[in-house]
Amino acid sequence: MKKLKLQDVVPFAAFIVIFVFFTIASGGKMLSAYNLRILLDQSMITIVVGLGVLFVAAQGSIDLSVGVNVAFSGVLATHISLRLSAPWLLIPAALAISAAVGLVIGVIVSKLKVSSFMTTIAMLIGIRGVVNYIQTKIGVEYLDVSLKILNEPYVKIPLFIAVTAVMAYLFEFTKLGRYSRAIGENETTARSVGVPVEKMKIAVFLLSGLLAGVGAIFTLISVGGSTNTMGNFLEMKVAMAIFLGGVLVTGGASARIYKVLLGAFSITIIVNGLALIGKSESQISETVEGILLLLILYAATAAARRDRRRSVKQAVASETSATEST
Amino acid sequence: MSTNLLEIRGLNKRFGPTHANVDIDFTLKRGEIRGLIGENGSGKSTLISIIAGLYPRDSGAITLGGAEYSPRSPLDANAHKVSMVMQELGVVGTLPAGVNVFLGHTRQFTEAGVINLNALNKAATKVFERWGLPKVPLNRLTDGMMIEMRKIIELARALSVEPDVLLLDEITQSLSMNNRELLYELLTRLKDMGKSVVVVTHDVDELIRITDTITVLRDGRVVGSVESAATSADEIKLMMVGRRIEGDYYRSDLAPDYSDEVALRVDGLTVDGEITNVSFELHRGEILAFCGLSDSGIHSVGKAVYGLSKRLRGTVKLNSSELRSATDALRRNVAYVPKDRDNEALMIRDDILSNFVLPSLDTLKGALGYLAPQRLRALALKMTAKLSVKCTDINQVMDSLSGGNKQKVNLGRWLAKSPELLILDCPTRGVDVGVKAYIYSLMLEAKRSGAAILLISDELTEALGMADRLVVMKGGKITRVIRRDEDFTEQSVIAVMV
Repeated sequence: MKKLKLQDVVPFAAFIVIFVFFTIASGGKMLSAYNLRILLDQSMITIVVGLGVLFVAAQGSIDLSVGVNVAFSGVLATHISLRLSAPWLLIPAALAISAAVGLVIGVIVSKLKVSSFMTTIAMLIGIRGVVNYIQTKIGVEYLDVSLKILNEPYVKIPLFIAVTAVMAYLFEFTKLGRYSRAIGENETTARSVGVPVEKMKIAVFLLSGLLAGVGAIFTLISVGGSTNTMGNFLEMKVAMAIFLGGVLVTGGASARIYKVLLGAFSITIIVNGLALIGKSESQISETVEGILLLLILYAATAAARRDRRRSVKQAVASETSATEST
Repeated sequence: MSTNLLEIRGLNKRFGPTHANVDIDFTLKRGEIRGLIGENGSGKSTLISIIAGLYPRDSGAITLGGAEYSPRSPLDANAHKVSMVMQELGVVGTLPAGVNVFLGHTRQFTEAGVINLNALNKAATKVFERWGLPKVPLNRLTDGMMIEMRKIIELARALSVEPDVLLLDEITQSLSMNNRELLYELLTRLKDMGKSVVVVTHDVDELIRITDTITVLRDGRVVGSVESAATSADEIKLMMVGRRIEGDYYRSDLAPDYSDEVALRVDGLTVDGEITNVSFELHRGEILAFCGLSDSGIHSVGKAVYGLSKRLRGTVKLNSSELRSATDALRRNVAYVPKDRDNEALMIRDDILSNFVLPSLDTLKGALGYLAPQRLRALALKMTAKLSVKCTDINQVMDSLSGGNKQKVNLGRWLAKSPELLILDCPTRGVDVGVKAYIYSLMLEAKRSGAAILLISDELTEALGMADRLVVMKGGKITRVIRRDEDFTEQSVIAVMV
């Protein structure tokens, strides 16, 4: 029998509380077909990008470059596809550029041993500058109308589901996912078993970059063009979603695919709910958002602490019961 | 003043449904070295943890020096001159060695809110000198230090409070032979000073040698106490398990017995600052043991062969092709069991299943790299049953298993692959005699099936008991190789080891 961990229950409980609260507070407006569509739309980008970052988080690292990577690959890919008058080139271009950024980060983190936090913060600042520079040169650009079809729900939603399914498969059912969690649990252990730790680190940043490219495509097709504010603060939203979902900062076995979805929906509902009950656009909305996030994260941490205490108790207890059962 | 320093009457401790200590009576005299022994889970760690202030007792009375004693915390116990070295490693990796010595006692070095590191290191040096402990780089972080060095830092911490009662939980198994001798001398000195020591260990012979009296625990109760001088290892073992352990658990043949086929050929292997020019051959079906003192480099040999340290020179060939890295070794069916089980081998906060399958993912995966959950489960269940790992479920967190059962998982996950080459660094560290005997039988089974085994051991008796050939190392170099049918005795090994 698997004991339910409090740590895994809290994120669900938080989600339900948020959901019920805003459903009631908005007088049911939250559940309107129109609003549900908006909710899904708003969550999609956070989820898609978060699915990539989850691999990094599982290893106990963090990727804060995804927001700027969305902007960088989005702006460049749009420009290239317009320049060459090949609208569909947008997709491979965005993926190639974002993956290349991820690869560079992966090499820096694994080979030069710079912490992922510092590396990706540096990227966040540095690349944002490049994006702003490019944008002043080329101005706002609009996608070719032929790409509009991608924003139709019957294309966009299956696309989203396909991406999620592939990532879930990679994370839960392949060596890449298992090795990444092992690295987060204990890097020394992973190394001494023979896990190719360096290769795995590069792989997850590459993957995280690639998914930022997917995020860029999703952003472009819902906005219709590129601006230099694309992906602003997305890295924070994604990191929040992952931690809200119940993944520990240290990664490891606590990292699971469903937690990204859970966390992303929680965040989106908070933002959307505040808008519905008319608290949006006012400065107060962000403050309330911050306070709510803090509360949920506190509850999750407290739960993790309790789980830990319980496991220590169990350890000492089983020490004794092991003999009794002989 | 009464000669009894510590008196425990009717002590009970429960953890949930488990009765860890049952009506314990225990008396410790001044200047007495007391051994505490029992199988894994017999309650000995719980008992000394209560004395050290780690857990409160449920009932019973404890007096220390005639006064009622109920420590609220380890620090409170320290204030009563009681200190302990714990079984699991208790140093803070991100702090330097010197600060670890005074963990919890740094206030004495604090000036205006800042710790005066110079004064602290000076005081730490004094502790090391006063007790004759081997030198440790005080400014280095304890992360990355060898397990033995970290143990010595913990010992220094315990001694720094000038304890009247020193509690040592499984310390010798982390120490190499020369430092064990240092510890024995230290115990004698403490005894002469009128201090008392409680030693917990699984090594019966050692316990008889270094203690005055031995108390045996079983299932949380005191089975009895005996004078060390008037008992035998067999008597103690009988008391521990309540049944007689059949004969010797080492192998009984007196001649080496292995194939001519070379499995592993190591040539001129050199790791900077650790080992120099190490060359040897290991054959199919052979157990080759490495013995040596703490700076001999025996543990580095295992690491370097598995590809975990940077080789400066030399080659390591498995079936005559180079083993390039640990990843290469994993792919080519080599197994490596490191000495430090909790920090280097297992993911202790993950579940049993994840720990079991980690080295076998390549063999378990199907098309598109698919790791079918039922296949992973099947492997973990099969091995849990085969090794009789005591657990309620394979989703149980690793950390909740006892030491012996953790070690079964640690070793068993490799045996699941029937490896060609096994590198075992102290495979019986911290396990009781029952599990120990079982691990030896597993080794012999692997040997019979043609596996080559590289056994690195801090225990000479174990190496002599199991090996076909024994390699003695000193100062990072091989000093002698002895075959099982030559002068295969402790004396001849020690002669070239020290």
